Amino acid sequence: MSRILEINIFRYNPEDPASVPRMQTYYLEETPNLNLFIALNRLKEEQDPSLMFDFCCRAAICGACAMVINGKPQLACKTKTKDFPNQINLMPLPGFKLIGDLCVDTGSWFRIMNEKLEAWVHTNKEFDPEAEEERMENSLAEQIYELDRCIECGCCIAACATAQMRSGFLGAVALNRIARFILDPRDKRSEQQYFEIIGTDQGIFGCMGLLACEDICPKNIPLQDQLGYLRKKMGVLAVKNYLFWKKRS
Amino acid sequence: MEIIYSDLLCIGAGLAGERVAIEVAQNGFKVVCLSLVPARRSHSSAAQGGMQAALGNCIKGEGDNPDIHFEDTVKGSDWGCDQEVAKLFAHTAPIAIRQLAYWGVPWNRVVSGRSFYYKGGKRFEKIERIEKHGLITARDFGGTAKWRACYCSDGTGHSLLYTIDSVAISKGVLVHDRSEAISLIQDGENCLGAVVRCLRTGKLRVYLAKATLIATGGFGRIYRASTNAIINEGGGLIIALETGLVPLGNMEAVQFHPTGIVPGDILVTEGCRGDGGVLLDINKYRFMPDYEPEKAELASRDVVARRMVEHMRKGFGVKSPYGEHLWLDIRHLGKEHITTKLREVYDICLNFLGINPVEELIPVRPTQHYSMGGIKTNVYGEAYGLKGLFAAGEAACWDMHGFNRLGGNSLAETIVAGMIVGKRIVEFLQEREVNFSLKLVELELKKQQEKINKLIFGKGRENVYKVRNAMQDILMDYVGIFRNEKDLQLAVDNLQELLERSKQIKLRSNGLGANSELSLALKIEGMVKLALCVAYGALQRKESRGAHTREDYPYRNDRDWWVRTLAYFKEKDSLPTLEYEPATKKIFLPPGKRGYGGTKIVPYDYPKDAPLPEL
Amino acid sequence: MRATNVRKINFSNTVAYLDLSQAITGIFLCLFMLTHTLLVFSIIFGEKCFNKVALFFESTGLAWSSGIFLTIIFLFHFLLTARKIPFSFTEQAKFWSQAKMINHQDTWLWLVQVLTGIVILLFGSIHIWVILNDLPITALKSKHLMQKGGWVYFYVLFLFSVAFHLGLGLYRIGVKWGFITSQNRLKSKKYLFILVGTLIMIDSISLLFFYF
Ligand SMILES: Cc1cc2nc3c(=O)[nH]c(=O)nc-3n(C[C@H](O)[C@H](O)[C@H](O)COP(=O)(O)OP(=O)(O)OC[C@H]3O[C@@H](n4cnc5c(N)ncnc54)[C@H](O)[C@@H]3O)c2cc1C
Ligand code: HEM
Ligand code: HEM
Ligand code: SF4
Ligand code: F3S
Ligand code: FES
Repeated sequence: MSRILEINIFRYNPEDPASVPRMQTYYLEETPNLNLFIALNRLKEEQDPSLMFDFCCRAAICGACAMVINGKPQLACKTKTKDFPNQINLMPLPGFKLIGDLCVDTGSWFRIMNEKLEAWVHTNKEFDPEAEEERMENSLAEQIYELDRCIECGCCIAACATAQMRSGFLGAVALNRIARFILDPRDKRSEQQYFEIIGTDQGIFGCMGLLACEDICPKNIPLQDQLGYLRKKMGVLAVKNYLFWKKRS
Repeated sequence: MEIIYSDLLCIGAGLAGERVAIEVAQNGFKVVCLSLVPARRSHSSAAQGGMQAALGNCIKGEGDNPDIHFEDTVKGSDWGCDQEVAKLFAHTAPIAIRQLAYWGVPWNRVVSGRSFYYKGGKRFEKIERIEKHGLITARDFGGTAKWRACYCSDGTGHSLLYTIDSVAISKGVLVHDRSEAISLIQDGENCLGAVVRCLRTGKLRVYLAKATLIATGGFGRIYRASTNAIINEGGGLIIALETGLVPLGNMEAVQFHPTGIVPGDILVTEGCRGDGGVLLDINKYRFMPDYEPEKAELASRDVVARRMVEHMRKGFGVKSPYGEHLWLDIRHLGKEHITTKLREVYDICLNFLGINPVEELIPVRPTQHYSMGGIKTNVYGEAYGLKGLFAAGEAACWDMHGFNRLGGNSLAETIVAGMIVGKRIVEFLQEREVNFSLKLVELELKKQQEKINKLIFGKGRENVYKVRNAMQDILMDYVGIFRNEKDLQLAVDNLQELLERSKQIKLRSNGLGANSELSLALKIEGMVKLALCVAYGALQRKESRGAHTREDYPYRNDRDWWVRTLAYFKEKDSLPTLEYEPATKKIFLPPGKRGYGGTKIVPYDYPKDAPLPEL
Repeated sequence: MRATNVRKINFSNTVAYLDLSQAITGIFLCLFMLTHTLLVFSIIFGEKCFNKVALFFESTGLAWSSGIFLTIIFLFHFLLTARKIPFSFTEQAKFWSQAKMINHQDTWLWLVQVLTGIVILLFGSIHIWVILNDLPITALKSKHLMQKGGWVYFYVLFLFSVAFHLGLGLYRIGVKWGFITSQNRLKSKKYLFILVGTLIMIDSISLLFFYF
């Protein structure tokens, strides 16, 4: 006999004056291989077309479907119901603006983040269409790719108590992004320039080492190691600045 | 009425849209991109395999050049492509790749010395040259003479899109995400912008622009089983088609991939079969050698997909709550191979099927994968029919893919077309003067608002999901891989009926805010129209070419059908109007054998009135 | 796009110094605590031994001078960490609901660190006050104190707080500064918990000797 799932979903539509924040319960018969992508769409099509949630690639590569599933921020599309008890609670990601029900505005958040970080390659060189590409070690390319794999799902922000307490905090995703550019020899920014962006209480020194980000990241980005690396690097730089400044004066 | 002005309105912020946006923005114009989802979630990010460009750095790509790339592309298209476009494309692709490297894409590089690779399950050795050490390397892809697909591990599209979006941000390109274009504003001659529904609040906004680009990607979601993202519903094509002025090209050319998983329809790579995986039926019987004694599972994509469907039709499919499927067996490749060389497949199976492919069979079926058809443009990306309207990427029928696109050519197309179309738009904008008639704008806005009101308050009684599901089933069942007169006629009839039903939708929810039932209801009629373009185009095209396979017309008929279908949809009509134009104006490579697939050909110089050769 | 276009460098190192100082004061306090534990542990070799040790610190002036120095570090550490402690109610509520929501060990442990820190602030101040106001230190005095009223409860709670705060503090420094990597995280955590256990044990033994 297949189970009947009890799915409790946070409901609130800010555009509907009659709507109040509440939890609503739905029942659904479990089928083999059922995941939350299929389950939620069935609920929408068969029971309640007003349900709001986000899916896009439905293959765990675009990051659209992050939500809090029984307390843990996760990608709904790759969450199988069979790994859960009969009762499944779904909440929108905390830390982002609510659009409705399970939808949050990650787009604006990440755009602002990338603008703040100036998360692009900075260089003085002009592109020469005639020239051969600059060489790079394959191992370095793979290292950069490893950090580039982040899908901006927002789970690490939703999981981080620091980010929840202090809204200005950049979070693991941003710090990892900076680590990616530090690694990249094509980005000609100096250490000082990176320091300017992340050497603050909103940046690396705001992180309290809670490691929920590391434990929750659905792409297993090596966040802990990047955070440690950055703090060490920025700390050493600050000490160097101090000594340098001493010498000069 | 909220009006947002810009020089270029880019509908779509995937690779194609953003690459055009960059080109235009760096020439000092104001660009606004629209997207249904945050730009980086666009479906370009899903491409894993690679991007074709003839660099010839790796040893298995030695001696490669754009002309060979061009030939591969034309053959791949089954001579359905525009050869001028294909040539321009192949020659620009290397520059595009290098510019991407300059912008920060972490392409995999050549490592000099000895290494191994697998082919057909066997191990071979290769030795990379020391002079090429550190240059961009490439991997093997179907239908190419050389290893030419440049890649970033198994996330090429992701890395490209993140890099391109970061450059777009640096150039000040604005992206209005969660914004859906629901109609074009035009005066019968000029395209002036679009009416857009905000997917945060549900409100309508107007975007007016001197030039408008449609780069909304594929429309795979008119099929039930598609590897495409669920947002790939053809929104951009619909709004162009609904002007009645802009034709869609070659809509019947739809590519199926043999191995999408069930359920989920997520792609598992061709590498499974390349490395020695086999297909099994309900009796765990390996059936492919019966159909294709020589190549078995390693025949070309369209051939394998065709045979799989044939076999399932005979009743050998495995029934499941998610429809029929077959099995892919890679168990014999061993744990080591599967968890390293096929890691992505391993993860997908574990995450989405909850099975371990080292010990279990993978449920697969042929799955809609790519739309060769789209908004027909000239070589500069200018859409037919409206001035100031452009298209690029999968949404366009620029037409370098003809009737079958090669793996890796599509990422390359988005970037290369982005560069070329972008340049043209810059020239266009430098001369363009327009007067925006507010009357026109108000009219269009009112029309859309009324449409919404009708859906919410009207007297219809149709359920939008039922209509959509019916459409998807029709296409799946009758306009799939194998096509014939009877099925196609059935599809066209059913779809015409469905078109009427799609005009009688009534929402069951209140339609307030970011309501997704309303989003779908707004475009379902257009989706059925797209489906009709596909089905009707297929019905009329009485030949087999590339992915378009007619059981009743097995010849590739270059004498009568070396043409491109142009589908118009006039308001109030229930069928598209089809016109045809020559597939290519310039001929660099006359039609011939592809070198695989074994198609029978009616040569283009075959006597005009002679009967077709016997089968 | 250009590296040179980036604004004139105009940043402050202050936050980095504060963060470094937080770690350094923390480590210093840890080292002190370890020494302190061993010194107090001398009680198990008899009152004489303890008194000798105490006398040594007394006669060299180390007791009160280091006491004052320590108090300063102690307060300094508090001031530094206070930047991280959620004092406002909204912050506390956010942290609490977040910790409950994701129910994640390291997040809970941070809460433990803050709470033990506050206990140490209170109890430590009292402890130092009491000790330094009644120099010289002798085994007998300590025994009297311990056997009087509720002081033993005071010390038990105090020592548990200190031990945990110390262990978690070292773990935190390790994680934050990249000494503990994802590779050795579980192992490091285990060793640090062993350290905490050992500390509690040693300190409890000392306490027992004072109590009886
Ligand atoms: C699973 C998979 C794997 C693939 N692998 C490869 C590969 O290895 N190599 C290769 O070359 N190709 C591959 N392809 C094909 C390739 O990824 C796509 O063809 C290409 O990325 C399309 O890019 P695009 O910019 O045209 O469209 P997309 O990236 O799909 O972008 C479309 C944009 O339009 C927006 N949009 C859509 N409708 C509207 C609307 N109405 N209003 C406003 N905005 C709208 C969307 O939000 C999005 O931003 C693969 C495809 C799939 C499905
Ligand atoms: C005044 C009493 C104290 C208070 C209020 C206090 C509070 C705190 C807090 C809240 C932190 C966490 C900082 C962060 O996560 O960023 C911390 C860190 C730390 N504390 Fe204390 N503490 C006190 C005394 C002590 C004592 C006596 C010791 C030594 C045993 C100690 C050792 C440490 C260490 C090693 C750290 C880690 C430093 C870091 O993360 O940079 N603390 N303390
Ligand atoms: C220089 C200052 C200090 C001196 C001279 C001192 C001395 C002592 C002495 C003599 C004892 C035995 C019990 C007693 O007589 O009360 C004791 C116990 C204790 N002290 Fe201190 N102490 C000092 C500072 C601190 C500080 C700063 C802490 C921690 C923040 C601390 C933590 C403890 C604990 C936990 C105990 C009880 C456990 C045990 O038996 O070891 N002390 N201290
Ligand atoms: S770092 Fe991980 S959790 Fe955070 S946004 Fe990226 S993929 Fe998501
Ligand atoms: S959870 Fe937060 S505090 Fe740091 S280690 Fe991760 S960013
Ligand atoms: S839908 Fe893309 S990650 Fe889940």
